[in-house]
Amino acid sequence: MAAAISIQGLTKKYVDVWQKQEVVAVNNLNLEVEEGEIFGFLGRNGAGKTTTIKMLLGLVFPTAGDANILGKPMGDNGIKSQLAYLPEETYFYDSMTGWDLLDFYARLFRIPEPERSRRVKLSLEKVRLQPDAWKRNIRGYSKGMRQRTGIAQALINDPKLLFLDEPTSGLDPIAHAELREIVGSLKEEGKTVFLSSHQLADVELICSRVAIIHRGKLLKTGKITDLVAGERTEMVVQGKALNNGMLAQLKAIVPNISAEANDTLRLSSEDSSKVSAVIDLVRGAQGEVLSIVPHKRTLEEVFVETVRKEDGV
Amino acid sequence: MVILAIAQQTIREAFRRRVMWVFLISGVFLIALGPVFGFLSPKDSQTVLRSLGLAAILLAGLFTTIVTCIYLIPVEIERRTIYTVLSKPVQRYEFVLGKFLGGFATVFVNILAMGFVFLIMLYFNEGHKLPTEMVKGVVMTFFQMMLLAALSIFFSTFATPVINFFLSFGIFLVGNLSSVTDSLTTNKNLGVRLAGNVVHYLLPNFGNFNIQNSLIHPTQEIINQGVFIRNNIIYACIYSAVLLTLAILIFDRREV
Repeated sequence: MAAAISIQGLTKKYVDVWQKQEVVAVNNLNLEVEEGEIFGFLGRNGAGKTTTIKMLLGLVFPTAGDANILGKPMGDNGIKSQLAYLPEETYFYDSMTGWDLLDFYARLFRIPEPERSRRVKLSLEKVRLQPDAWKRNIRGYSKGMRQRTGIAQALINDPKLLFLDEPTSGLDPIAHAELREIVGSLKEEGKTVFLSSHQLADVELICSRVAIIHRGKLLKTGKITDLVAGERTEMVVQGKALNNGMLAQLKAIVPNISAEANDTLRLSSEDSSKVSAVIDLVRGAQGEVLSIVPHKRTLEEVFVETVRKEDGV
Repeated sequence: MVILAIAQQTIREAFRRRVMWVFLISGVFLIALGPVFGFLSPKDSQTVLRSLGLAAILLAGLFTTIVTCIYLIPVEIERRTIYTVLSKPVQRYEFVLGKFLGGFATVFVNILAMGFVFLIMLYFNEGHKLPTEMVKGVVMTFFQMMLLAALSIFFSTFATPVINFFLSFGIFLVGNLSSVTDSLTTNKNLGVRLAGNVVHYLLPNFGNFNIQNSLIHPTQEIINQGVFIRNNIIYACIYSAVLLTLAILIFDRREV
């Protein structure tokens, strides 16, 4: 599959007026985002996520390195007609109505009427903004409505590649779920999404691959399934009526066992294939398996571990 | 289409600001007060009405221009609305020109409204005759403000609104003292002469647009008035074009 975004050695340094202090916002970033995938770009506040996006969009200029977007050099104005950007905070012209705002952005894409009105209507419907709000001033919109409008403006040009910076932050649970669903649905339409987010549960649900960036440095990248698997899988097995002889046999399979009250044993293994052997053994001893709870590592755990390891915590 | 869209949006935002209406209403109010002051000085009622009207248009136009144009670009960066504009296929020169046209159109509408009220007042106070001479005064103020708008837009590509205010306002004042700066160019002191040359020839010459005296007082005549006005309009257009070109070049390298 072709790369929608290809970043090579992208670096951004900020120096003060006297050229004495230097802050490296993005440090030699190398990344590939494939066409048609939802790619999660993770990092703490100030990790360099927004700076990276802004460089890719030509809003700030890199100190070193290069990137190609949909086969064209970053910042190329021609390619921008196929891009969309939703900034971290939805800053709009508050005096405009939702409809007028989208109409304004559509004009920036040089979309003529009546196609422009059709696109505006389609985008507003897609983000499920209530029609009675379309002609109201954005000033009176709730956070959720503003965020929907933000995504609608990102869809106005039917883009191939979307840069979404924290699209679901600060929303109520319903709006959050709906917007996550909308972002997730973009993949079905063949669009590529570069999603910067702190909502790791969302990222885990809708993204196929992620990159973790910390202090401007890329720490980890890969498929979510690969990142959460492989290193440690935890399982909990509870049983009762298990005598001491059984405990020894179980320990031979799963060394990490702790005895709890009411003849209950808690087993923890990094190898999920041991579960079957444990079940057979417990059943053979007339024991009862109360629960088997696979504790898979979450993306959040991977993220926290990776960042803390880098910080030496 | 893109420049026009940005200009229209700029006009909409500009007229949303209450201060804009304050300047416009104050200007119109001052013009409307002209006949009252005229009654206080019956001999010179026509002069008072004309002077006050042109001065009101100049003052209201000046503050409208500065207050509108110093904010146009910085406010987009500060509120971050610029992100959703420049991430679209919008060239930076289109953004700067759209902002300039929007700001300039706002000033134009204000001067047009005040000029209209001014001419109506003159029409009814000077025997139902249209004072075409006064139109020249309004037109010159209009081009003077166009030059000032371009200057403010130029500064707004790199300076904060506060610094821009002092720079624009300061240069407007110095530029209005062209007769003084002109005399400095022939000063005996080399340093003063050099400084005078730089100020006189480099800074925009706003003073040349002040033709009010010759319009109001028949004794003060500008030789070849038509050519003088035409040349100053050309000067304003060329100087504004240069300022906008520099503004585009600076903004093209600016990170937002």
